[in-house]
Amino acid sequence: MAEPDFESQLTRLFSEAPPFPDAELFAAQVAASLDRGWALRRVLIGGAGVAAGVVAAAQIAASRFSSELQTLSLDGARGVSADIDAALHKFNQLVATPASVEALWLVAGLAALALAFAVTRAMEEF
Amino acid sequence: MSSQRPPTGHDVELAALAAAGDRLAYGELVRRHGSAVRGLLRRMGADSAMADDMAQDAFLAGFEQVADYRGEGAFGGWIKRIAARCYLRKIKREARMILTGEIQDGDDPTALNEPRTASRIDLDEALKALSKGERLCVSLCYGGDWSHAEVAETLNIPIGTVKSHVKRGLDKLRVRLAPKTEGARREAHG
Repeated sequence: MAEPDFESQLTRLFSEAPPFPDAELFAAQVAASLDRGWALRRVLIGGAGVAAGVVAAAQIAASRFSSELQTLSLDGARGVSADIDAALHKFNQLVATPASVEALWLVAGLAALALAFAVTRAMEEF
Repeated sequence: MSSQRPPTGHDVELAALAAAGDRLAYGELVRRHGSAVRGLLRRMGADSAMADDMAQDAFLAGFEQVADYRGEGAFGGWIKRIAARCYLRKIKREARMILTGEIQDGDDPTALNEPRTASRIDLDEALKALSKGERLCVSLCYGGDWSHAEVAETLNIPIGTVKSHVKRGLDKLRVRLAPKTEGARREAHG
């Protein structure tokens, strides 16, 4: 037999997939692995978002909010309404202005993760 | 997802859907090409458990990379290349030692006892007559559509080594597959 004939015959033989009785089971296993990977990714993104949120909240609280509360309690002689007004003013300042650059980055990271999570969900749904 | 029915269509269309995150479309591609990938890995010399593991890894990796598949070649060929690369990564050190003769690469002893009845001889049986190195090289070049140079580069061995394994493998296969082909030829002419 001429070599090219044999080689083309061999290529043809290789292109014929052997039958597998468990082909459907294999496909199901791959699908399950894909689903697991997808679910894990969602959990990781969600977990990272929550962790970043907790860190950001802790950062904010530790940086100013607690000290402001402490100051409020020490200044008990002041009038209640004045205290409340001052606290509200301070709190508004706190919310309006990030406590530190780190907190700003953490909040930005949290927002990015939340967006990624939303996009992941949207991709899955649509 | 409104319907759980697997999408139908050409592989390229399904791959495009999969690239957009449609796992059902990718599942259909797995159904279509799973056996070919598993078969190639077995023909390369992987045992059934490893072949299935590698095939699964290849399809998972394929899903991550499916956006890179542009339909320029057959999807089956594309995913088989990924599977072959996965398997070679796994056995690279052993394969290099076998192909360069650093460790003994004997023929499959079970193949020697196979009855050579023409009707029983098929490619998978014939491949058992090859040494591990010959089987790997022949399967990669003829089943995975790899060039000799690609095999040599991937395994970091001389291209001449690959060529000699392929040649010896082809010589053995020619003998093993001859009864069937001669019989088929006689039938065609008779």
